[in-house]
Amino acid sequence: MNKLLIFTAMAFASLPMSGAAQQSNLLPLSIKSRQVRRLLDRAWVLDSDQGEQTQAIVVMRKVVKIEPEFAMGHEILAQISLDPAEQVSEQKLAFANRGHANASEQTVIEWFQNAADHKLIPAITNMNDVLHQYPQDRWLVFLANSWLMEQTQYERAAAIYENSGLSDSPGLVNNAAYTYANMRQFSKAFSLMDKFVALMPKDPNPQDSYAEILRMAGYYTVAIDHYRAALSINPQFYSSQFGIADTYLLMGDEVQARKEYDAAFKKFPSLGELERIQWRTREAATYIYEGDLAAADKALGAIVDYARPRHLSQVEAETYRQMAMYQPEKQRGMDLLHKAEIALNEGSNISENKTQQEAAEILRTRVYLAIGAGEASAAGSAIAKLARLSMDSNDKVIDAAFNGAVGAELFYERKYSGAIPHLEQDMRSPLSLKLLAAAYQATGYHAGARRIQEILTHFNDPTIEQAMIVPAFRKCLANPACEVNVKNAAMTVSR
Amino acid sequence: MLRYRTLLLLLLWMIAAPCLLNAKQLAVVTDTANPTTNLTAAELIKLFNAHTHNWADGKPVIIVVRDPDSADMELVLRKVFSMTPVQARAFIQAHKPSIVVAGSDDAVLHFVSTNRGAVGIIDLYSLTKDVNVIKIDGKLPVEQGYLLRGN
Repeated sequence: MNKLLIFTAMAFASLPMSGAAQQSNLLPLSIKSRQVRRLLDRAWVLDSDQGEQTQAIVVMRKVVKIEPEFAMGHEILAQISLDPAEQVSEQKLAFANRGHANASEQTVIEWFQNAADHKLIPAITNMNDVLHQYPQDRWLVFLANSWLMEQTQYERAAAIYENSGLSDSPGLVNNAAYTYANMRQFSKAFSLMDKFVALMPKDPNPQDSYAEILRMAGYYTVAIDHYRAALSINPQFYSSQFGIADTYLLMGDEVQARKEYDAAFKKFPSLGELERIQWRTREAATYIYEGDLAAADKALGAIVDYARPRHLSQVEAETYRQMAMYQPEKQRGMDLLHKAEIALNEGSNISENKTQQEAAEILRTRVYLAIGAGEASAAGSAIAKLARLSMDSNDKVIDAAFNGAVGAELFYERKYSGAIPHLEQDMRSPLSLKLLAAAYQATGYHAGARRIQEILTHFNDPTIEQAMIVPAFRKCLANPACEVNVKNAAMTVSR
Repeated sequence: MLRYRTLLLLLLWMIAAPCLLNAKQLAVVTDTANPTTNLTAAELIKLFNAHTHNWADGKPVIIVVRDPDSADMELVLRKVFSMTPVQARAFIQAHKPSIVVAGSDDAVLHFVSTNRGAVGIIDLYSLTKDVNVIKIDGKLPVEQGYLLRGN
């Protein structure tokens, strides 16, 4: 399907309260002007189909400026914005203007408001309520898919996509491919990627997505070929340039990875602040792969130095925490965590929710360091604080930090059966996955252990924690002399 | 590139990056007229193992489950039935018609919402307003320590 057809379809989709919308089972939108309708269509194409999220955000800002009472416009902007402050303010505006919205739009707004308020069950029922009414509405399917991906609910996301029958929308095909890739159903993911490429042969994003999914599957060299194909279509598609660097990092070719990062930073000097920091952090991870912790300290220290004068308190806190994670000396790690806490507490431009999430991650790291040093009371003290945070928040990130920490402590005490349910709630963490595999093995759940080992072996996110855990795990698995289920339970970085 | 805002906005790389696996969260659901709001884990196990035949209000219990071979049932078989899929299949066969197999969460929801006394287990993210969610040991599926969370 070409872009013209998408435009036509979406213009139809966004007819205000029209009979056509009701007949075609699409969510009616309370739009007053044709201009806003056109802009909304444009935002859809940019954000969903072309991966041009930044441009889509600009368009959506125009939408809500022209029609400030268009509550659903505020909601869409809240959901696609990359600025945490804007997400919060637009969600508030969506909720405040819901009186101008129709009943279905109100349900969508309540869904995201409940989600923001950590009222997960009503959020889910809101989502399903409106999806049952309009299962084929592109915006709804797209919002649901994106939200469920954030919640790591891939199976439900896949079910909603399949039920929609929207197989020719490039953006949804792209999302669905990632959904299946995260479920490790790569044959479906590759098939969708072939379709995505065919739908948009002159756009770099399908090739970039294909590369990322190939990389998730461990096909590194083919992934690089697809990144280069994306760049041949559009040399300014910077995510592909950095994607090549990330892929070399995951391949364990740290020197080449740094060359590629360097080239990418030179080629794209005007990257957004957060994107720049993201890839600088990944560049720093190359040193952790190499075991050169002093160089990693230097690289991450530069990020702290960049963040502090710009009042990027969350970045500063996170970076200190990440530095603490790999420190061989416990006291140095604790000092860094203390700095992280200071940065977090001094930060004035962080939402309370983000502050609590980062505080939880700092406490989790305190637990890991204390366990590594054999200081049970310090670990217990940090866990008690985490428990209070978790009890008060009903936040998935905080809950995961709590469970990861408790699971690690119980594992360390060889209470494997007790550790398992906690570690199962922290499946995003390579360390928890590693401990979970060992705990399953220790309790005789061998099939579960094998499954988690396979997942960890193919854990291909270029993160600091991945760098600390996965390469060593892969080496151990490949070495018959390495008793993987026991040795990998070590709490320190082993290279 | 996935349009995936959390990747950038959180910058909690190890948290926000797409993960490879998620723990399941299941919800025990009943029809909205059922006055039961909480079950202990032991009561839930007795209920699904057909040791309890009636609810507190006297209505007969009808259990609806997914196919024992489905991925969705793995956690249920492990934590509620303590059976293999083969054992569960035989168990269901032996307890017809008080145990019914449904092909999807939507089918479970439809059956539960339209049959008084029905109880089923679904993926939490399939939940609708047509059914009640039962607490297990006083906990909702979103709470720490809830029984039906895991792999």
